[in-house]
Amino acid sequence: MIAVGLELPVRERTIELPDMIAYAGATWDWHRLHYDHEYLADRGLSRPVVDGQLFGALLAEQVLDWAGPGARLTALSFRFAGLVFAGETVRLTGTVTAVDGDTVTLDLRVEVTPDGRPAVAPAAATILLPPAATTTHAPAPAPA
Amino acid sequence: MSLLTDELRAQVGREVVYTAPEELGAAAIRYFAQAIGAVNPAYTGSDPVAPPTLICETNSYAGLPRDADGYAGHGWHLDIPGTRLIRGGNAYEFHQPVRATDVLTVQWRLAAITERVTGGGVPMVVVTSVATYVNQHGDLLAVNTETLIHLGSAS
Repeated sequence: MIAVGLELPVRERTIELPDMIAYAGATWDWHRLHYDHEYLADRGLSRPVVDGQLFGALLAEQVLDWAGPGARLTALSFRFAGLVFAGETVRLTGTVTAVDGDTVTLDLRVEVTPDGRPAVAPAAATILLPPAATTTHAPAPAPA
Repeated sequence: MSLLTDELRAQVGREVVYTAPEELGAAAIRYFAQAIGAVNPAYTGSDPVAPPTLICETNSYAGLPRDADGYAGHGWHLDIPGTRLIRGGNAYEFHQPVRATDVLTVQWRLAAITERVTGGGVPMVVVTSVATYVNQHGDLLAVNTETLIHLGSAS
């Protein structure tokens, strides 16, 4: 049963440079911040910066995978809190904050592990579950 | 000295519209899904739906050449001397699933420009834009409220 306070399965993702190249290609965003070491050094950065918008995509998938087939994400908001660099691992967490019929609202967060510094916070999502899912839904296991 | 000039204030209300030259495409959907590590079967096959954030995160519809920074998407190109540009955040509304056969038209509107100071006393200009995504049928697909921050320097 989905209730306020229910926590989503934690998801971790290591974002390496090939993942960033794939994301850049998939989004037609070739900003030098994500790969150009000379450009980075000129700005006092030692490693490529992960495209922050990727975290919106990761949060969306975390929520949808948890909600299961037939659910629809209707809103997602997030504020960037700090840079994440190539090779780092992010940890995605979420908690149900409201249930109104088939509509569930969640608080979400992305932080870098192991130091725990925030990458995205605050973040929130609203998801529309299939009818009756709020009473019968068992959280789907997170992908390995 | 204020970073926010009358010239900047006058930019509020600007709009620009882009229409993609072709359908979004099943391959683009599959590529994005793979890039973000999504394994949902809805994103592949003969009639896939797009991961919800794809259209808000892609620049493919804009048809713009890359700039000197390598960026190929929409921008207002505001001139605010002494600042550097960072992302503030996004608020997405998803109104209906996006399909491979959808042709995107995206209207960007500069909704607000405000000046603020960080907790550390650094001045900044916050630019809020709203992007509205529709398909070739005029169906509303998504709305993206985006915040960009032009961050100044500590005095």
